[in-house]
Amino acid sequence: MKICIKLLAHYQQYLPPDCSSSSYETEVPPDARVEDVLAQLPVPPEESVVLVNGRTPRPGQMLREGDVLCLFPAIGGG
Amino acid sequence: MYGWNGRILRVNLTTGKTSVEEVDPRTARDFIGGRGWAIRYLYDEMDPRVDPLSPENKLVFATGPLTATPVPTGNRYMVVTKSPLTGALSCSNSGGFFPTEMKRTGFDLFIFEGRAERPVYLWVKDDRVELRPADHLWGRTVFETEDMLRTETDPRARIACIGPAGEQLAPIAAILNEKHRAAARSGVGAVMGSKNLKAVVVRGTRRIPLAHPDELKALSDQVVEEVKRAVAAGKATLRTYGTAYVPPVTNEVGILPTFNFRTGVFAGAEAISGRTLSQKYLIRPKACYGCPIACGRVTRVEDPLFGGEGEGPEYETIGSLGSACGVDNLAAITKANYICNELGLDTISTGVTIACAMEMYELGLIPESDIGRPLRFGDAEAMVEMVRLAGRREGFGDLIAQGSYRLAAHYGHPEFSMSAKKQEFPAYDPRGAKGMGLLYATSNIGASHMAGDTAYMEVFGVPKKVDPLSWEDKPRLVKYFEDIFTVIDAAGLCVFLSIRYLFEPTYNVEPVRISRLMEYATGAGYDEEVLLEAGERVYNLERMFLVRAGFSRADDTLPPRMLYEPMPEGPAKGHVVELDRMLPEYYRLRGWDENGVPTPEKLAGLGLP
Repeated sequence: MKICIKLLAHYQQYLPPDCSSSSYETEVPPDARVEDVLAQLPVPPEESVVLVNGRTPRPGQMLREGDVLCLFPAIGGG
Repeated sequence: MYGWNGRILRVNLTTGKTSVEEVDPRTARDFIGGRGWAIRYLYDEMDPRVDPLSPENKLVFATGPLTATPVPTGNRYMVVTKSPLTGALSCSNSGGFFPTEMKRTGFDLFIFEGRAERPVYLWVKDDRVELRPADHLWGRTVFETEDMLRTETDPRARIACIGPAGEQLAPIAAILNEKHRAAARSGVGAVMGSKNLKAVVVRGTRRIPLAHPDELKALSDQVVEEVKRAVAAGKATLRTYGTAYVPPVTNEVGILPTFNFRTGVFAGAEAISGRTLSQKYLIRPKACYGCPIACGRVTRVEDPLFGGEGEGPEYETIGSLGSACGVDNLAAITKANYICNELGLDTISTGVTIACAMEMYELGLIPESDIGRPLRFGDAEAMVEMVRLAGRREGFGDLIAQGSYRLAAHYGHPEFSMSAKKQEFPAYDPRGAKGMGLLYATSNIGASHMAGDTAYMEVFGVPKKVDPLSWEDKPRLVKYFEDIFTVIDAAGLCVFLSIRYLFEPTYNVEPVRISRLMEYATGAGYDEEVLLEAGERVYNLERMFLVRAGFSRADDTLPPRMLYEPMPEGPAKGHVVELDRMLPEYYRLRGWDENGVPTPEKLAGLGLP
C-alpha cells in the first residue's frame, strides 16, 4: 500500500533528490507498523517527533493506505 | 557578591536624580535576579492599582546572575512594569548585546520612576550616569535613534529605545535594542514613552565576579561543544532556518493560527516557512552575545512592493502577521516585521489585532469607511499598510495600536479578540495544544509563549513528547513549565538553549545543569530544589501583584472561540480547551484557593508576606 512520508526542519536533507515538496509517496507492506517504516529511514527515532496524520501514534500502531507519516527533529520552538 | 553585581541604579525622572543601592544577599538568592528581583522591588514599592501610564508606575530593566557570564546564551534582560495592555504585569524579554553591556556597567537593575518633563535618555558608562535631553530624538524611528545615539555617545555603546509607537503610548509598543531585538510584549514601550524616556544607552567594561570561574567555564564549554557537535552533524535546524522552521510543524499538528484562529490549518504554510526564507531572503544567520545557536535572521527582500533590509521574521511574527491574517506572502510578512521594528511595535499583538480587524470587516462589523479601504484575509498589501498606520497611530491605525481587545470592544464584539487578559495569543492555537490553553488563561502576563511554553513538550518533543490533545496531565505540566521558565528568565538565559541543553542530556526533566551553573556563578547555595522553589516564589509574588491589582479567577479565561467552537478541521478537529476541568486542578497544585489566590499557608511556605 502507499503512504506519504513527510520530513520537516533539517530532516528535509533526507528527502529524495528529485523531491520538490516536503513529502513523497512510498510503498509499504499492508501490515506495516510505524516502527517498521521508521527503521528504514535515516533519522534517529529517539531524537525525533513522529506523527501519523498529525497525531501522536500509539506504540505498535499499524499504518493504513494514504496515511501521512511525518517526522521532524525534537528541537525547541518559536 | 558573585554572579550578581549586587547594585541597582535608581533613576527618578521627575527630579532628574539618580542613586545607587546595594542588594541584600538573602534577597538576591531567594529571588534569583532579573524578573525575580524586579517583582520584589515593584511589589514592595508600588501600588499595583496605579495607572500604568502614570508617573506612579515604575519601569525596571533587569539582568540576571548569568547575564554577561561565560554561560552560553547568558545574554538576556527583562523589562518588568505594570502593563498598559493588560493592566497586569509585563515581563518582556530580549537578548542581543544590550543586556550584556548593561550588566557590565556594574548594575544588575535600572529602576525608572516618575516622569521627565521633557524627553530624555539615560547614558550609563560604567559608574558615570547621566540623563541627557532627547528632544532632538523625539519622533525619530528606532533605526534613526540608534544611529544618532551611537554617534553622540560611544561607537561601542549599546542602545535600547522606543519608536513613534511608544512615544504615542500605543499599548502594543515595544522596546527595541540593536534595532531588531525586542522586549516586545505587553506595551512596555508605552510605559517608557509615558515617562518621556526615549532611550537607554550603556557602555560597560567591568568583569562580572564569579564564585567558581573554572567550573563555570568548564560546564559552559561542555554545553557549547554539544551544540557544536549537533551543528556538525547537520542538526542545526535553528541556525539553518531560524524559528521560521516552525510553520509547517504547527500546521502538521493543526495549530498554526489561521484566519484569526478560526482554524489551525493553513494552505500557505510551506510558502511562509524557514525553507522559503532561507532560499529567498536570508543573508546570514545571526547570534546574540555568547550564543552557539544563531537563530537570528539577517534578511533582504527585493520586491517592488515589499522591499527592504533588516532582521527577521521569527516564527511568532510569521504566525501573527502571516497565517493569522491569511497572508502567505513571505516578502510582505518580512516587510511588516521591518516596519514593526522601525516604529517600535510588538509583531505578535500587531498581527493578531489586524487579523481580528480582518475577520470583523469580513463579517460587516467594521465599516469600510472607518478603515479607509477593504481589509480582507489574505490581502498582503492591506496588512502592511495597517502596520504602517498602527506604528504612528494614524487613521484606523489608532485602533490597531490599542490591541485587538480594545479594537473589538470598540465595535461591540470583544469576543473576536484572540487574547487572554487582553494580550494577543502567540502562534499556537490552544485547542490543539491544551497546555498552551491553560497557560494563556492563567499567565500573570496574559497570553504568552514566554510564560511557560508547554508546546516544547506538546509539539516539539523537548525534553520529551506528550500528547497535545490530552488535558488531564496539563495542570502539572503548566505549573512546572511556568516555574522553570521563571528560573530561566530570572537567571538571564535564553529558553532555546536552556530547554534542550541545560536539562540532563538523558531528557530527565530536572534543571540539574541550570542549578549547577547558578551555583558556580553565585556560590549562593543553589541546588535543584532551592532553585525551583525560588522560581515558584517569584511566580507567586507576581501572582500577588495581580491579586492586589484586582485580578481574580474571572480573568483566568479564554475567548469563547477557544472554549466552545470546536476546531473545524485537521488533526485537532473537534477539540476545544477544557479550561474549567484543568483550572481547579491547576489552582490546587499551585496551592491557590478556588479564586486563584495564593493561600496564606502557601505564601508562608515560600517565605512571602
